[in-house]
Amino acid sequence: MKNWIKLGLCGLMVVSLSGCGGSGKSDVDPQEVYGCSTLNVYNWGEYVGENVLSNFEKQYNVKINYSMFASNEEMYTKLLGGSQYDVLVPSDYMIERMIDENMLQPLDKSMIPNLANLADGVKGLSYDPDNTYSAPYFWGMVGIVYNKNNVDPADVESQGFDVLRNEKYKGHVFVYDSERDSFMMAFKALGYSMNTENEDEIQEAYQWLLDMDKKVDPSYVTDEVIDGMVTGEKDIAVVYSGDAAYILSENEDMAYWLPEEGTNLWSDAMVIPANAKCPKLANEFINYILTDDASYDNSSTVGYASSNKNVLEEMSAPGGEYDGNPAYLPRVGYAKDEVFKHNEVLKKILADLWIKVKNS
Amino acid sequence: MKSFARMLYPYLIWIAIMILAPMLLIILYAFTKQGNSVLTLQFTLENFARFFSDSIFPNVLWRSLKIALITTVICILLGYPAAYFIAKLEGNRKSIMVLLITLPMWINMLVRTYAWRGILLNFPVSSEFKVFVGMVYNFIPFMILQIYTSLTKMDQSLLTAAEDLGANKVQTFLRVTLPLSMPGVISGITLVFLPAVSSFFIPKLLGGGDYVLVGNLIENYFISTGDWNFGSAISLIMAVIIMISMFITKKVDYENKGETRA
Repeated sequence: MKNWIKLGLCGLMVVSLSGCGGSGKSDVDPQEVYGCSTLNVYNWGEYVGENVLSNFEKQYNVKINYSMFASNEEMYTKLLGGSQYDVLVPSDYMIERMIDENMLQPLDKSMIPNLANLADGVKGLSYDPDNTYSAPYFWGMVGIVYNKNNVDPADVESQGFDVLRNEKYKGHVFVYDSERDSFMMAFKALGYSMNTENEDEIQEAYQWLLDMDKKVDPSYVTDEVIDGMVTGEKDIAVVYSGDAAYILSENEDMAYWLPEEGTNLWSDAMVIPANAKCPKLANEFINYILTDDASYDNSSTVGYASSNKNVLEEMSAPGGEYDGNPAYLPRVGYAKDEVFKHNEVLKKILADLWIKVKNS
Repeated sequence: MKSFARMLYPYLIWIAIMILAPMLLIILYAFTKQGNSVLTLQFTLENFARFFSDSIFPNVLWRSLKIALITTVICILLGYPAAYFIAKLEGNRKSIMVLLITLPMWINMLVRTYAWRGILLNFPVSSEFKVFVGMVYNFIPFMILQIYTSLTKMDQSLLTAAEDLGANKVQTFLRVTLPLSMPGVISGITLVFLPAVSSFFIPKLLGGGDYVLVGNLIENYFISTGDWNFGSAISLIMAVIIMISMFITKKVDYENKGETRA
């Protein structure tokens, strides 16, 4: 009987990505060093390398409880509901909000020497200028993926986001179903800041989107866009650069373009909630993720741009995994690219307008 | 006897935790403002005002009800004859047919809807039509099985009696079979209409995203906007409307029964 229980437990541990059998484990007692032996990590779905978690567990003799969310808002509400995590990986604007609301604790930089590995372009973005609270995990842009055979590259390159209002491509367009990303395109196409609060500019962007809805009758999708473009279901799509890199590597008819009028530069970063039970181990985990090995595994599995400059270089260098893939490397230092700012009022307004666009 | 009654307690606790508590939370969210912790509740009717202040939200709700209603009617029109003929089949064939009806349900609904997305991808039909296909396909087994059950439960000697008294086939069907199978139709309506009105992934996958129903609206405000208060208010409004329509259905059912008895 006992053996059965052991076997069962063992199975459970395998499921929770903890090694069973003890080979390669360190002798350190985590309880002694960190005051705890379980780390609760809350990350995006499909956002981690194959061996990243199990290697950490082996190396530090700890157990990771790994849960996943599908949106920043989902994660935020879960935290408000009292759930406790040690490491989270929210996006820029959500980190800004959590800092404002005192939900995060500063990183212990003495424990994270690997912060030195951060790529310049992702360091000190506006939501956390000194990386006091956050250590970037992945980053990227929002760009246009199009089918070279059916779309004139000159159209995309000269019109940028306005190609989404080109009637030539009616019925062949995917648009990301999110008020933030859609209004971002409209604001950028009109030459405004994507963080604008100006009512006239919002109205103008709303009209732009209505016009887009009428002229190209897009399909509004979320993750379906990846499969949709890999199989060539449509000819034009607005996608996150990491997904674009994957689409380009799977379907050679597809090309990538970053609009000259600017786009969204985003970053998802690791933070430690103020109520974390195991902050010391959390800092250790963040340091571990920023190592070349773990970062490489993450970026190679997921396809998003690594925050680690060595990995970024290796991936895009001749012979690297993303050599010649234009979507992998984010565009750095382009003044018209912007990072999202947190603005709860604006979000509500845009959410209602977006429902109207989809229903027009 | 008393000890048997005590066996009910686990169920009551289960109901309290799994049904009552979430419902109360939805009501609480619907009447409060966003972003406040439980300690500083601020009650408001703002969420409901927001819903009715813009024609877009009632429009979406109206469209969802319309689509659920049409889906239900199609399910009855297609499902009744199917159930009728299955019920008329002999022993083995009957169970094979019932098995065939339930067979698709062994596979997850989401997976099957994805399959339909692939099938309908290149058909030049409107997204509304695709949504109807998905809805009817997914919900019709519930209708067929309900009607089938009430038809097989029917006392067959009543049919012989009707024939004996000179009723022709049409008369027998209209005055004996149909009224006796109404309970099945009514519970079929409940089982089809309810999930159809709140379905969100069928319109999302098959309608190309620009086909917003109230289920999508709720999903949108919970997941992507993170506005649980407004999402709860929409859910509550929908729940009330569904309760009213169920009440009407039950009432029609009751009156029908009265008629047949008279």
